[in-house]
Amino acid sequence: MAGLELLSDQGYRVDGRRAGELRKIQARMGVFAQADGSAYIEQGNTKALAVVYGPHEIRGSRSRALPDRALVNCQYSSATFSTGERKRRPHGDRKSCEMGLQLRQTFEAAILTQLHPRSQIDIYVQVLQADGGTYAACVNAATLAVLDAGIPMRDFVCACSAGFVDGTALADLSHVEEAAGGPQLALALLPASGQIALLEMDARLHEDHLECVLEAAAQAARDVHTLLDRVVRQHVHEASILLGD
Amino acid sequence: MLQKQEKVLLLRTFRGRTLRIVREHYLRACVPCHSPLCARPAACSHDGKLLSSDLTHYVIPDWKVVQDYLEIFEFPELKGIIFMQTACQAVQHQRGRRQYNKLRSLLRDARHDCILFANEFQELCYLPRERGEALEKWQTRSIYKAAVWYYHHCGDRVPIVMVTEDAEAIQKYGSETQGVFVISFKDYLDNFWPDLKAAHELCESILQSRRERESESQESHGREYSEHLPLEVLEAGIKSGRYVQGTLNVNKHRAQTEAFVRLQGASSKDSGLTSDILIHGTKARNRAIHGDVVVVELLPKGEWKGRTGALCDNDSEDKTSSEAPSEPMPTGRVVGILQKNWRDYVVTFPSKEEVQSQGRNPQKILVTPWDYRIPKIRISTQQAETLQDFRVIVRIDSWESTSVYPNGHFVCVLGRIGDLEGEIATILVENSISVVPFSEAQLCEMPVNTPEKPWKVSPEEERKRRDLRRTHLVFSIDPKGCEDVDDALSVRTLNNGNLELGVHIADVTHFVALNSYTDVEARTRATTYYLADRRYDMLPSVLSADLCSLLGGVDSSNKTLADSLDKAEDPSDPIVNQLLRSMATQAMSNALYFSTGSCTEKEFHHYGLALDKYTHFTSPIRRYSDIVVHRLLMAAISKDKKMEIKENLLSNKDLEELCRHINNRNRAAQHSQKQSTELFQCMYFKDKDPDTEERCISDGVIYSIRTNGVLVFIPRFGIKGAAYLKNKDGLVMCCGPDSRLEWKPGSLQRFQDKITSTTTGGESLTLHLFDHVTVRISVQASRCHADTIGLEIISSKPYRVQSSELSHLSPLVLKSELVRDVTRCAEEAQLAQEGQVDGIREEYQEYRQTKGRSLYVLLEEIRDLALLDVSGDYGI
Repeated sequence: MAGLELLSDQGYRVDGRRAGELRKIQARMGVFAQADGSAYIEQGNTKALAVVYGPHEIRGSRSRALPDRALVNCQYSSATFSTGERKRRPHGDRKSCEMGLQLRQTFEAAILTQLHPRSQIDIYVQVLQADGGTYAACVNAATLAVLDAGIPMRDFVCACSAGFVDGTALADLSHVEEAAGGPQLALALLPASGQIALLEMDARLHEDHLECVLEAAAQAARDVHTLLDRVVRQHVHEASILLGD
Repeated sequence: MLQKQEKVLLLRTFRGRTLRIVREHYLRACVPCHSPLCARPAACSHDGKLLSSDLTHYVIPDWKVVQDYLEIFEFPELKGIIFMQTACQAVQHQRGRRQYNKLRSLLRDARHDCILFANEFQELCYLPRERGEALEKWQTRSIYKAAVWYYHHCGDRVPIVMVTEDAEAIQKYGSETQGVFVISFKDYLDNFWPDLKAAHELCESILQSRRERESESQESHGREYSEHLPLEVLEAGIKSGRYVQGTLNVNKHRAQTEAFVRLQGASSKDSGLTSDILIHGTKARNRAIHGDVVVVELLPKGEWKGRTGALCDNDSEDKTSSEAPSEPMPTGRVVGILQKNWRDYVVTFPSKEEVQSQGRNPQKILVTPWDYRIPKIRISTQQAETLQDFRVIVRIDSWESTSVYPNGHFVCVLGRIGDLEGEIATILVENSISVVPFSEAQLCEMPVNTPEKPWKVSPEEERKRRDLRRTHLVFSIDPKGCEDVDDALSVRTLNNGNLELGVHIADVTHFVALNSYTDVEARTRATTYYLADRRYDMLPSVLSADLCSLLGGVDSSNKTLADSLDKAEDPSDPIVNQLLRSMATQAMSNALYFSTGSCTEKEFHHYGLALDKYTHFTSPIRRYSDIVVHRLLMAAISKDKKMEIKENLLSNKDLEELCRHINNRNRAAQHSQKQSTELFQCMYFKDKDPDTEERCISDGVIYSIRTNGVLVFIPRFGIKGAAYLKNKDGLVMCCGPDSRLEWKPGSLQRFQDKITSTTTGGESLTLHLFDHVTVRISVQASRCHADTIGLEIISSKPYRVQSSELSHLSPLVLKSELVRDVTRCAEEAQLAQEGQVDGIREEYQEYRQTKGRSLYVLLEEIRDLALLDVSGDYGI
């Protein structure tokens, strides 16, 4: 069983990155006209699309309305063609529900919901291609979309995953690295304050190593922030040129 | 900074469909080139080893060359080797983990002048594979392109030789770039290393064994063994409890029939098996070799067999013993091998007569390994005749299910059979002990200590340490003449009248920094090896013999040694006492090192010393484990003093790995010591005629009783061995006149503490445990294996004649005498041999004659004969 060498003796990962390096990130804001906010992001080969509607009145039963803050409603789906083997249904399965719940928790922590009592904010995220780190890509896309919609937030929410191989923490895992089955940690960070919006890990990892993996993920999230910040400024710049004259 | 590329892979899924996968591939401008001639050293940011700066050329092997001739690149003479990442990955994917790990350790080893260049991550070296291009072609193309880049990167100053087996590539690229030569591996060896004979021979033997294998795979014989199951089936089987996983141990005395599988880890708990599993016969062993990790299927209870308890020789192959075996034990057969632990094997080629009787194919030769537990290996070579007087190293290549014996190839010659140096080298190789002299780089790290410039403690170090040289009485308790004195004691009276006893140990870690060249070397050696007549140091002698005599740093508390064995005593016979003790300790399994992080505190106890916790740190010069403990102590001290810890301590996982390695090396050290002692004993008795020589007859004590004989200990020489009471013809030993023993037909009866032989004539002889008997010592010579000492009981009475005379000599003195005697003999033999050679050479110089018997000599002899005849005629 010649298992894949995730980290070579020379410090290279399978795809040629070093331990702390991110995959290539490309993003655009305002990709749809009819939505309040939208964004598209590529993190390596993971591609995600996020759309935001709101804040608007509660749809459906009124009883769900919260008296003091806005309701954040998140839905996650991934395209049937997004993975190596074709999926049966794009949404509604257990994994999608969980992901939706996690996104909701993340954005409830980041959006200033108390400014919009008794209203609702919808965030829809779709993954077009899954190549590892789908949660992180979804959060980053949704952040840009929320910003595009002009909904007030405490800060950017930047997410990144990290893994642990042979005593070294790897940032931003690709699908190959995720599939190898090591511990994997997903972190959503508010970079300015350093607060953690969400932290999730399923596998077992020794307590001693947690700190270094966490630090790797946080550093990666800060790097993501720099990139997203640049995207937002670029977008605002373009928009101001269009509106200005 | 990084440049993203996409790589499209076509993978085959388990169901046989092809799957198109897109993977990212990142390229960068700066990949460390590890060359001292690098044009932009700042950008390349080298860490780790560099190639030497005084090379005439760099050599870049193609992927196929790395796969097939990796062993040749292990020669330290070959320098400036650049392994391209493409080639390394080809090894990883196509040759499996074992060979890849070999390559990795070669790259990590600071003594080898070779590096890895990650060409696939360099933006100018990377070549995407074209549609429909064969993998092999693409690999060669990538490596060539990287070679050209590397040449320009080093400023066109060092020519690069790319060696490949691909004739097409040689033709295509051979003259494409000036300074980058593409030649075949054979040409490379011929042109650049014409004098490196060992490499040529190895290359030749690899080539031949490969040709053989190819031709063999075409003609398919009948199956000799059942196929191994695929890995997934094995893993699933182990999980479900259908199969059991364990390490194969072949019984040294019945290598043909008996092997045991020692269970590993959790599998023993699940299957409810308490003992080892017996593997009976070579068919059931299914091509597993001693030391392999195998997967075993248990046979139904009806087919279980018992192990035999009788003494026996190794020569008798597959002989069904008439002895009733003991009760049946779990028996199984090997269905797969998880991990092959093949190493280098020392073998002996058959003598000329045997080769002829093997017939058929004169180039395929079955060689016999020195270790009884290893099956014969088939070697194809043309040098068989020249090699037949030598001990030779071979490696196993493969073992197909169609072949009775494994295929291997010849690697190098160790020495002559029966020659002391050759035999010692054999013992070292068999225990995987490598004792190359310390390299330049390692010695450079050592402090200078010459008579002109003696080494002194530096003033700042002196301030940090407490100087006890003037305030305390310090002395050593090692015997006089001991070279590696690393501990000392001090004694003084305290103010309250108590005595303070201090134990002081040399601070070796001060000189051996973690991960320095010396440290890496010491870690691989793990311990100093003591053989009967020599020792191989773990550290360079400047440390072990000179400097580390007592720098004294850490005071340690006194240690108490539990000596629970003192109670077993028999006041009348000191030898029996000695035996009892050694047997009591032998029954215990050896203590092992472990990392405290890897098991619970309950498992920490040391059984032999009856202590809850035990470690030692008193001999850092000769034990690597003590160096580890020293580092831990230093870290603990500096933590107490709130100083920052200088070195990174090892993690639990690394420590576990290290402990396993040290345990393994310690076992090798013990084995080699025992085997070398036996070697010396055999050489001592070899040229003595057992019937006439007085020394060959000695007193012995019976210490164990078996079904067809007894085990005897000879205190005079410290020899332990088996003596038979029933020989191969079925005759038993009985008491003749004047208490001499002789062979007669009869039967044997074994009891708990005695053995009785009864002849058909009604005479009987009873031997009890711990009886003194007279034995005759003889040497059973063996061509392929180590000689063994044979014992024969010649009288049931103790041998007392010389005992009063010898009593003042301790066994230790005798032992060292034995060693001296043998060493002297060996030296004389060598001198004599050299003298002979010199004589022939002189003649050769003088008369320009061919070596050996010339035609002239022959004719001269014939003339002599003719004269004789004539004179004879006259006589009539």
